[in-house]
Amino acid sequence: MPAMLEVNNVGKTFILHHQGGVHLRVLEGVDLVVEKGEAVVLSGPSGSGKSTLLRILFGNYRPTSGSVLVRHAGELVDIVAAAPRTVLEVRRRSLGWVSQFLRVIPRVTTLDLVTDPMLARGIDRGVARRRACAMLECVGLPERLWSLAPQTFSGGEQQRVNIARSFVDPPPILLLDEPTASLDAVNRDIVVDLVGEARAKGATVVGIFHDEAVRERVASRIVDVTGFTPQKAAS
Amino acid sequence: MTGVATMPADTGSLLEARLVSRRYGHHIGCEDVSFTLWPGEVLGIVGESGSGKSTLLRCLAGLDRPTAGTVAFRTGDCMTDIFAIPEQERRALMRTAWGIVHQNPRDGLRMSVSAGGNVAERLVDGGERHYGRIRAAASEWLTRVEIDRARMDEPPSRFSGGMQQRLQIARVLVSGPRLVFMDEPTGGLDVSVQARLLDLLRALVRDLGLAAVIVTHDLAVARLLTDRLIVMKSGRVVETGLTDQVLDDPQHAYTQLLTSAVLAA
Amino acid sequence: MTGQIPSGDAMPTVNYAYLDEQTKRMIRRALLKAVAVPGYQVPFGSREMPLARGWGTGGIQVTASIIGPDDKLKVIDQGSDDTTNAVSIRRFFARVANVETTEATGEATIIQTRHRVPEHPLTAGQILVYQVPQPEPLRKLEPSELETRKMHAWAEYGLMHVRLYEDIARFGHVATTYSYPVLVNGRHVMSPSPIPKFDNPKMGQSPALQLFGAGREKRIYAIPPWTEVKSLDFEDRPFEVQRWDEPCALCGAADSYLDEVIIDDAGGHMFVCSDSHYCEERRKAGHAGAMLATSTGGKLAASNGGDR
Repeated sequence: MPAMLEVNNVGKTFILHHQGGVHLRVLEGVDLVVEKGEAVVLSGPSGSGKSTLLRILFGNYRPTSGSVLVRHAGELVDIVAAAPRTVLEVRRRSLGWVSQFLRVIPRVTTLDLVTDPMLARGIDRGVARRRACAMLECVGLPERLWSLAPQTFSGGEQQRVNIARSFVDPPPILLLDEPTASLDAVNRDIVVDLVGEARAKGATVVGIFHDEAVRERVASRIVDVTGFTPQKAAS
Repeated sequence: MTGVATMPADTGSLLEARLVSRRYGHHIGCEDVSFTLWPGEVLGIVGESGSGKSTLLRCLAGLDRPTAGTVAFRTGDCMTDIFAIPEQERRALMRTAWGIVHQNPRDGLRMSVSAGGNVAERLVDGGERHYGRIRAAASEWLTRVEIDRARMDEPPSRFSGGMQQRLQIARVLVSGPRLVFMDEPTGGLDVSVQARLLDLLRALVRDLGLAAVIVTHDLAVARLLTDRLIVMKSGRVVETGLTDQVLDDPQHAYTQLLTSAVLAA
Repeated sequence: MTGQIPSGDAMPTVNYAYLDEQTKRMIRRALLKAVAVPGYQVPFGSREMPLARGWGTGGIQVTASIIGPDDKLKVIDQGSDDTTNAVSIRRFFARVANVETTEATGEATIIQTRHRVPEHPLTAGQILVYQVPQPEPLRKLEPSELETRKMHAWAEYGLMHVRLYEDIARFGHVATTYSYPVLVNGRHVMSPSPIPKFDNPKMGQSPALQLFGAGREKRIYAIPPWTEVKSLDFEDRPFEVQRWDEPCALCGAADSYLDEVIIDDAGGHMFVCSDSHYCEERRKAGHAGAMLATSTGGKLAASNGGDR
């Protein structure tokens, strides 16, 4: 199986200039290869650097050292060294980020929110719209809400919008940042099913799940991040 | 962190700033700013008041000549140094190839000319001489920026601040520019009006494949609209990168200060 | 032309045609430049004249600079030879330049005008001098002089069409009826001074030389003979001149510019030629409009033509 993600000797130290210039060493010597079709779940206690590593994989945090190769358009691209526009292109086509938070421009309707990621990938507007509708139905969001902006929705409804938006057109690599953290049982099951569906279509998954049961259902491999935690890490 | 000076020249770039400086006597407006903008990209310039954001924008948009450095814009197959060409040609580019949305609508609109006439101007500048077509295009663009057609023949002095900003956008976009400069486009607007404008800008940028350079001190606006950020302090660039990188993992002391004020909440 | 006019008993001596020779030379240089670049506004050092700025000082200075004892001068104000302004200026030049004056368009060598082009076709050798209050056609839309100069320099004239657009959008048609902007020689947009747009077509390919003087704004411009003058318009809204439903009530002319004249307290009105000389000539030649049949009309006609 080809490697979809290849992390080589990645380290991350935060320098907090406004807190006495303290150096916060969070990760050291991270080596990790994720092959196509795998579902890797990062584990470790709070503060062990799971979230930091996941963000580095997405190109959101910039590692202090090392490289992160991501398979994009058939090639491995180092998103640490790549030009910003290359990173954006990798994210648009190959690398998806799913969190529990819906962070969007106010006033955009639910249907547009779910359609947008597909339009950005150049999918025809009509096709995108049909798939968006199907997805919203799948997550069980009442149709009367589709033409409204989700800011006024209940917490559960907003989560469904977020799930729909994230899984409507899953890219080859999915990074999941505790997407089930605050979901009720029904929504949690929907997410687990959708991850399964995405994997069945060939998606590769790396994620963080606090829920023991969900972790067991999703993971094909569990990676303990404490192995990458520096000995004298600040607590 | 991506070093701006080492950014490779790309054959498809739209705008290239190289070591752009603008001094007012001994006072530094902006100094040694370099970056490359590609078609369809939205670049944010952030920093506090007086950090040189607007000075830089004026240089990039051809309004003020830099005291040093070059600003090159793609015209056809080659990059044109916009301050090396005659003012006449630069003005022609400013009317067609790019547009400027000013912070104060009075700087970007003709307040005594109707909303439709404001939109019509860039069309007739471009040589259009058919009233019916001009009228139709103006009407269509006003609708696109959510201004009621019934108000087409009213002067913008009767419009609200949000409508005036949207009219500026219509006036600029009607001529199909490839690049739009915006100076604090949501400054002075209510939060709900801001949201509407942001939504509109986001959709226009996506649908038209526009590139944009947006000056703002509002990091929330920057996060929602921009792909990349340049952080400025005292006229200099202190940090650049993808917007989420700069805001979530700021490296420079100044950026950390800037983001902590917002994200700590 | 340097000779001084004979001074009367109490009259102080003034130079021929009022202006000193240096000033006339300066204005002639400006005129030459204006003729060389048709439609271009040439700045000049406008002098104080013995009447207030805004009363035709630009036109008077141009006339003073080109007039000689052999000239025959006609002065009209809105087409009329006998309004106060026209009479005063005519008398002024008769006195300071010792020239013959006339009301006959065909006889005059120099015609100074405010707001009209005579109906009688001009001929080669004649000079029409316009009094111009505001020479800058872009001024209403662009207040900055620096900016309007750049716009002229680079022929950035989109704004003129914005002005026409505004008219059509607001009134359904181009409501500008005077000072209607023209493009001269395919290059410079020019204000024709506030003549009615009815007269615009007469400016193009005219055998006469047309000079424009704006005293307050200190600008001179010109249209040399046989120059193309195009009134600005849209492809789908071509330029049109005013039309009237009825001919001149006095002379019956259907091809001239008509003024509306109120004739009684009951709202009665008639349309008569604005060009008083043209109207008079037609009546002399036996043409008669509807009004001449009635007694009121007869009286009006008599007073109109009878001040000589």
